[in-house]
Amino acid sequence: MNADAHIGEAAELYAAGVLTTEESAAVEAHIARCPDCLRRVGEAEETVLELERVNVAPSAAARGSSLLPFERRGVASRWLAVAAAAAFIIGFILPHGAMQPNLATLAMVRSHFAHAQFSGAGPPAKVIYARDRSWYYIVIAGNYRYEVYGLRNGQATDLGTTQPKSQTSELFSPSSTPFDRVELRAAGKLLEAAAIR
Amino acid sequence: MTTIFDSRIARWQTFNLPDDALADGFARRDAIAYEMAYRSFGPRMQATALRILRDVEAARECVHDVFEHLWRRRGSYSTTRGSLEAFLVTCARNAALTQLRASSRRQQTAQKLDAPDDYVMEEDPIEKERVARAVAQLTAGQADVVQLAYYRGMTLAEVAAELAIPIGTVKGRLSAALRALRRSLVLGETA
Repeated sequence: MNADAHIGEAAELYAAGVLTTEESAAVEAHIARCPDCLRRVGEAEETVLELERVNVAPSAAARGSSLLPFERRGVASRWLAVAAAAAFIIGFILPHGAMQPNLATLAMVRSHFAHAQFSGAGPPAKVIYARDRSWYYIVIAGNYRYEVYGLRNGQATDLGTTQPKSQTSELFSPSSTPFDRVELRAAGKLLEAAAIR
Repeated sequence: MTTIFDSRIARWQTFNLPDDALADGFARRDAIAYEMAYRSFGPRMQATALRILRDVEAARECVHDVFEHLWRRRGSYSTTRGSLEAFLVTCARNAALTQLRASSRRQQTAQKLDAPDDYVMEEDPIEKERVARAVAQLTAGQADVVQLAYYRGMTLAEVAAELAIPIGTVKGRLSAALRALRRSLVLGETA
């Protein structure tokens, strides 16, 4: 396949699954750098989806037992490690506009919460947390990407990194661990901490 | 068994995450977006794989492996590509086809594909009718190629041999057929 040419009909053939491994790899390499062909492949995939709607998926009730759990092959642990960096939820909810729900706000509306001030060498910061310790919301005055750790009996859990948002930096982290202390760190070095009571 | 992760996901799901936000999270290789996509689209992916593999366990493995592969291989999906569900269902279908073609059971499975009565696959009658109408609008040559390449999972060379036409003609007809099907099934255009 000419690297400079568009993939043409190969877009539909790729989506239909009839290309060889080598041909498919060439298509994938091309669409990684060609938005036009990427869109054409996406359109062909939409057609595949329409053709596959004929197949009845397992019922909603059966879904839980139908799908393999990700605990297999250690995948869950990797996903959970990343999930602990719950900054994603701020990242992929808030930038989509003011009409998107702010999870931290919703969490506060829906539960009883308390707050604690951080003390130490860092900027003014607070942790707002659910009384049942199901979530922690860290807000820092100013733009900082600090690592946030929850500690219980000295055992630290990485909760993620604060994300700058206009005048503040934030991290909303769901957790089932009743931490007794939350720390803000920069490059692994402790900046300030808040006691959770 | 409900895990801590389950309860966390359930909390996110109560916020009715929009599809585009889910796709965006998936494109950024976000862990919970992956989990939510798996739960949302996994059943349809599994149904697609099942139609090809005719084996429930193999279909479950196939879908799981697709997600594992996508998780390990960064940058497979971007929102520019279009629908996340379409991307995932296509991935599942292609993975199942690859597995089928590589399988030593291929001949046996192909025979099953040739004999639908041998395996009962639950189908949506309304969707089936809608697709049948769209396929009926194709030219005879296009419909033959779709039947063999898409529904029976034949390779291009096999289709060419079966219909005694050049591979290039098979490619052209299949591409044109999928574009025609897109016009009727996705865009809602009538002939």
